[in-house]
Amino acid sequence: MHIPDGFLDPKISAGMMGAAAMALGYCFSKLKAAVTAVVSQHALAVAGKGVQSIASGGRRVLTKLGEQKIYQMGMTASLIFAAQMFNFPISSGTSGHLIGGVFASVILGPFAGAIVIASVLLVQSFFFADGGLLALGANIINMAVLGSLVCYYIYYYLKKIAPEVVAIMAAAWTSVVLAALACSLQIGFSGTIALSEIIPAMMRVHMVIGIAEALITLALVNVFRSMLKEE
Amino acid sequence: MKKLFWVSIGIAALAAFFASSHPDGLEKTAEQLGFLAKGAAWRSLMAGYSVPFISNQMFSTAFAGVAGILIIFCGCVGITRLMRKE
Repeated sequence: MHIPDGFLDPKISAGMMGAAAMALGYCFSKLKAAVTAVVSQHALAVAGKGVQSIASGGRRVLTKLGEQKIYQMGMTASLIFAAQMFNFPISSGTSGHLIGGVFASVILGPFAGAIVIASVLLVQSFFFADGGLLALGANIINMAVLGSLVCYYIYYYLKKIAPEVVAIMAAAWTSVVLAALACSLQIGFSGTIALSEIIPAMMRVHMVIGIAEALITLALVNVFRSMLKEE
Repeated sequence: MKKLFWVSIGIAALAAFFASSHPDGLEKTAEQLGFLAKGAAWRSLMAGYSVPFISNQMFSTAFAGVAGILIIFCGCVGITRLMRKE
């Protein structure tokens, strides 16, 4: 569902770029707080590199656990990148592929999940022209912010009242349909095609692709968790 | 966890040979509604997941896929290094 350049008008592209930058900025600040810790002045002084820090009053350093988390994010990103290349056939000459937003946020949490998907989108558009450069903001909003960050909370709240399997699958299905809806609105409001034409067409296809997303997400979460346990 | 890196490389390589080459949901919709031609892909080095110096389409895509994973991996290592130095 990577929007190429040319489908969106400049105003929508720019607006989405701004919104994506703000959302990702917030995710980065959350992630940074999670992977670093404030080291006390005393500890830094003991370690012999404290002179400067004492003046600034302690500072944030990457923790061991934080480093592990970034490493996990890299692994998740490469797995999602690979899985997104695997188009599976849907009816009538159409294919679909994983987005992986819910997979990323279930494994890593909503903020790291969104950053992982955004990084994958960045690499895809930059190196592979898969998704436009100007449309990158829109693609990040659709798949990283809505598909990963927002749909994480569907998983999170559903898990409290239903089995986790149901929560994962429902969130994954919703992520595809929600991203497709946002994508349709962006293209529609750009004046590329009438909203009344694109919304039903996109919904019809992506409600089917969503089923595959749900099944693949479930499988990937299980594989990933069993690999984490092995360590 | 290291296993996962090889699993990703495997999936990317397999995708090159077995993935469906039909257009995806958005492309198909654009084709049906007649606005596909408005889309423009910029001429990136590995546009469309293929590299210019391998003529066989499948091997070309496999190479591009593996390269993509290496790019992500290097980015991840680079970010960790930068944060450690800070």
